[in-house]
Amino acid sequence: MGSSSPLTAEVVRPWARPVVVLPMLALVSLVGAVFPSFSIGANLVSVAAGGTLFWLVLTGRVPRRPAPRRLVPQAAWWLLPVLSFAVAELVNFALGSTYAHPTFSVLADPVLAGYLARAAAYLGWLAGFWGLARR
Amino acid sequence: MSVTRILTIAAFGAVILIGVGVELAARRPDSRIPALGDLCGFVMRYRAGGLPVGRIAVFGFWWWVGWHLFAR
Repeated sequence: MGSSSPLTAEVVRPWARPVVVLPMLALVSLVGAVFPSFSIGANLVSVAAGGTLFWLVLTGRVPRRPAPRRLVPQAAWWLLPVLSFAVAELVNFALGSTYAHPTFSVLADPVLAGYLARAAAYLGWLAGFWGLARR
Repeated sequence: MSVTRILTIAAFGAVILIGVGVELAARRPDSRIPALGDLCGFVMRYRAGGLPVGRIAVFGFWWWVGWHLFAR
């Protein structure tokens, strides 16, 4: 925001406003959650929704906030959760990703089997996509 | 439920709590820790040969996460 003057304003396309985007993401989530894992519908919805957002981002159609130009040393704090997650995931994957040694996605599967939890997780995934798109 | 499963669930729970903790610390008024969104924004600035490599990598990863959780 530091580079913008009082005379400039960010132009937000009408379709990119939260009041439009959030209901769209919620609708896609409600539809996407209908399809169980391994179904053709689940593949189609996740690939189509992700692909659309990917396309919107790479073609620069989504207004972005300015990103930091430099990374301060304190950013290393993020290595703690990231590396811990990677180690836990890799160890359990190496041990077979079984009931006794589940990876994160194996633990999530029973939770995501319910429609409401699946729809909420879908919305979280799409909202994360949109949040990244604004960066 | 086996002990290893309980330990694994506890480990993932702890990792999530650590992540939330770092994000909350980053959002304090005078914090020097960047928020996760800022960190992602920085990574997505990376370009190589005119290609937005950082953006493609972050979005490709997030796309794969969704596909992996909901479709595979």
